[in-house]
Amino acid sequence: MPSASRKKSSDPASQTRSKPRVRKTKFQADLAPSEDRMVRHLKAELEMTSNSDFLTDALALFRWAVSERKRGHRILSESATGERKVLLFPRLERVAPEVNLPQAEIAWTPQEMESLAQLVTGKPAEPTEALVRAMRH
Amino acid sequence: MAIVIRKLEEHDEAAHFDCGDEPLNNYLKRHAWTNQQKTAIGVTYVAVEQSAPRAVLGYFTLAASSLARERFPKKFVRGLPPYELPLLLLARLAVDRRFGGRGLGHALLSEALQIALHIAEEVGCRCLITDAYRDKTGWYARYGFQPLGEAAAGGTQKMFLDVRTIRAAYGRAETER
Repeated sequence: MPSASRKKSSDPASQTRSKPRVRKTKFQADLAPSEDRMVRHLKAELEMTSNSDFLTDALALFRWAVSERKRGHRILSESATGERKVLLFPRLERVAPEVNLPQAEIAWTPQEMESLAQLVTGKPAEPTEALVRAMRH
Repeated sequence: MAIVIRKLEEHDEAAHFDCGDEPLNNYLKRHAWTNQQKTAIGVTYVAVEQSAPRAVLGYFTLAASSLARERFPKKFVRGLPPYELPLLLLARLAVDRRFGGRGLGHALLSEALQIALHIAEEVGCRCLITDAYRDKTGWYARYGFQPLGEAAAGGTQKMFLDVRTIRAAYGRAETER
């Protein structure tokens, strides 16, 4: 390694840059015994030793799920036989984009308005057999 | 299979409902209850089996609407009553695909028509309007729904059923009973 790279810089600004101070936030959670057991079990399964690593990975997964749902994508699992299960997680559904909300106020084209006016002002159509059957119940 | 059709309730199970159409699934799962209870802009009716009375097998949503007289083409305005035209929208109708082909769609539409007639008798309503997927227009036409204009670019077709026709059908059904 070239010796120049080991030299201490005399520039105080560059010293600050080379040692960025990362502020870490403490995270404390009250877990029910069953949740605590679940965390321990998952850590063992994933061969994790620290709670920090566990939280970091869980956060990454949750962040990905939120971003997917925000884009309107569904999250699903698919088995080897092709059976699919869609993840429905109420909190995630809150970030999903609103689609197809019903509107009591509907858009009408001039063609549709003309057609509607003709039907409304004209004689009513005779009921079809299916309609009569539907009214029988 | 003993089917009951009733209003959607808060604890009805819709998580597994799958009619094969994502917007229709999504509406039932996410919006139907809010729109019925919180904003009161539409009422959803669900079909459930008596032995599993919480699992939704099919549903439809009705909403009230109206059209101002001035919005109609001038040449027709004179033939229209001098008020807004009250309409009933059949905003959604879907059946879980696992229960397709068992007459559930007919039962749901039948209930929607009975409600439309009741509303027309009690409050006043001129017609039932629906926005049907193109591949479903034939099914609605069997019940007398008539297309309004041409299908929209999005693939849906507005369809019309006159309340007077529903009333006539009810009259015939009663006399044949």
